[in-house]
Amino acid sequence: MTRALSAARMIRTTNGTIAFANLAAQIDGLELHAASGRLTCRSWAELVDLLILRAHVLGRIGDYERTLALAELRLREAPAEGLSFLSLARAHGSLHLFKEALSDLDVAERLGIENAEVQAERAAVLQAVGRYDEALVLRREAVERRADFESIAGLAALHAERGETAEAESLFDESYVRFRGVSPFPLAQLEFQRGHMWWGAGHPLQARDWFDAAWRRLPAYAQAEGHLAEAEAELGDREGAIVRLRRLAGESDDPDYAAQLARILDEHGNAAEADRWRARAEKRYNELVSRHPAAFADHAAEFWSSAGRDPQRGVRLAKLNLEVRDTPRARTLLSRAIAACPAP
Amino acid sequence: MSDHGAGPRSIANPEIDITDVFAFPSPEHPSHLVLVMNTYPFKEIEATRLFFSDAIDYRIRVHPVRVASTGPSAAFAVGEEERAFSFIFDVPQKSGDSLLQSGTCHGPAGKISVHVGDEAGAHSEGLHVFAGCRLDPFFIDQGFSGGIRLQRRIPEVRGVNSLEGQNVLSIAVEVEHSTLFGADAGPLVAVLAETATNGSLRARLDRVGRPEIKNFIMMDKASDAVNRDLDVRDLYSEEDGFKLRPDYLGAYRARLNANLAFYDNLDGKTDWPLDAKGTHPLTELLLADFLVVDMSKPFNEDGYLEIERAMLRGEPHRTCGGRWLNHDMVDSLLTFLINNGNGPRISDGVDGTAVPASRKFPYLSRPTPMPPKLEPFVGIPT
Repeated sequence: MTRALSAARMIRTTNGTIAFANLAAQIDGLELHAASGRLTCRSWAELVDLLILRAHVLGRIGDYERTLALAELRLREAPAEGLSFLSLARAHGSLHLFKEALSDLDVAERLGIENAEVQAERAAVLQAVGRYDEALVLRREAVERRADFESIAGLAALHAERGETAEAESLFDESYVRFRGVSPFPLAQLEFQRGHMWWGAGHPLQARDWFDAAWRRLPAYAQAEGHLAEAEAELGDREGAIVRLRRLAGESDDPDYAAQLARILDEHGNAAEADRWRARAEKRYNELVSRHPAAFADHAAEFWSSAGRDPQRGVRLAKLNLEVRDTPRARTLLSRAIAACPAP
Repeated sequence: MSDHGAGPRSIANPEIDITDVFAFPSPEHPSHLVLVMNTYPFKEIEATRLFFSDAIDYRIRVHPVRVASTGPSAAFAVGEEERAFSFIFDVPQKSGDSLLQSGTCHGPAGKISVHVGDEAGAHSEGLHVFAGCRLDPFFIDQGFSGGIRLQRRIPEVRGVNSLEGQNVLSIAVEVEHSTLFGADAGPLVAVLAETATNGSLRARLDRVGRPEIKNFIMMDKASDAVNRDLDVRDLYSEEDGFKLRPDYLGAYRARLNANLAFYDNLDGKTDWPLDAKGTHPLTELLLADFLVVDMSKPFNEDGYLEIERAMLRGEPHRTCGGRWLNHDMVDSLLTFLINNGNGPRISDGVDGTAVPASRKFPYLSRPTPMPPKLEPFVGIPT
């Protein structure tokens, strides 16, 4: 185990069962207030943030859609409130509607939302669309303004996204030092990002360790467990990966797990079961791409370029993804999709 | 909920957020000291769904204290000895359809186990403890208190309890006073509560003594010419309330001097003249941020701040001080700050909760029952 991983494990956070029960209680309480018309603007924004958090951790597409619907509702009710636009920006961003998110942030700023809050969100969107230099300016400004867990973790994630692993690792370590709390959510997300960085850098062993750390901290963290399964399979533990993915694919409305499972089962020689999961993933991706093309173009492109066995469609979606966000990852995906097509 | 969301860290981590601390002689057993700590604000939700964090040490700390000086430089002298009640909770276990949580109170006389939500609590020698979800006893019209800061004047009275029906996670301790520091110890004790991490890395996360010090008095930055852009509350919460470090004392003093003067001027007259250095007469007394209870006096519903007020007048105090669950501390504090009793009582128009606390252990009222199930909200399935 690396020293960084040992240090991360020393930070004790609230057990995942408690954290999730309390998160659900928070959401329900806020929704009750919202339904009775007694929710303040700030609490509306909090409700949207908590729903996005739950959607991210559980990988529930339905929660993302619900979040956007709530943010749009709030905007209709309070169109002059900057917080309405900030919430809408977050909801748009979570469904990869990045142009809309940037536009929302401009309005939020004009309506008086604190600069630091808007800039943190803007940095996240700019990072997501590959405008790294602009994001870097904002992330550095945030650290200069206040070097706390959030700002340093944000800068670390940007370096991670750029594949600058040494800078990112140092900042990830620093952000742990600045952590003051017991919520497992921010640390699990950080560990997930760290795993993602190593996965992208072609180091499945380190990636597995960090995905595992995120999943152990928060066992309901479906995305972390899904990537953990992928890393385990890559490292040779296909059986273990299949067990994880069968459960995730059965429980989640995100087709990514069914797609991964189909691919690994194919490689494992279990064609019949692979076909079943392939069909399930295909049906769900069709639904999601028609509703949210920007949000699912990348994963759908991955699917059709591999287990989905429709590489031409994979290329079309990978091109769409590249239009949405011109990142190294998006460019690699398009190259892989093109390579998956049979030679003419 | 006088201290809820008192700083960015508490807002982001409601599980660490101490909302209130109360301390009073038991109405039933006058020789017993009662200590109450509430956490986790804004939970209008089924009581059995809320749990204490297993990663937090919920602590109530008690020190002996005496009046060191009276008059304009009134001050307490806090004794070094400490007795603490430290609550650590387990991960809930499944029991049928529900999850049950247990915890352990580590007190001066040893350990005692407690089942979360068990109204009877747990007994040991001279000690009675409770942990569970209860109705928040705090009441306030946040439109009034927030209106003061936003409008820079005393707003119109609406009299709406912004917190009616809210639940909190409560810890109550009732302890025989003589078992704390011995039968010969003085009658005054100082009380505060903390949440801290309980892993191998220990850090204080939140800390509360008197109510509304952080939200009424420390939050507003508009009058503070020294630190216009600094929310000092997180720094303040990390401090040992019995021994503030010198590092940030200047920042706390500047914030209190500025904001206490702001409150004093709300009625257009000065009841708390600043000294030549601009120091407000209450700054040092309030930075000694703990509740003080006189266990030689009987239970009194309205003892809150009476000891401090008497000290400032140079007179002996008459009540037990401390803070009782049903006391209208918002009116008491605002009146104290704005006119020092030299004018009408300043009231937010809310004088209690619909279900006041009882005079029997665990004192706090039962939580709001499960609210009716929400209809699909705005047509979107949950």
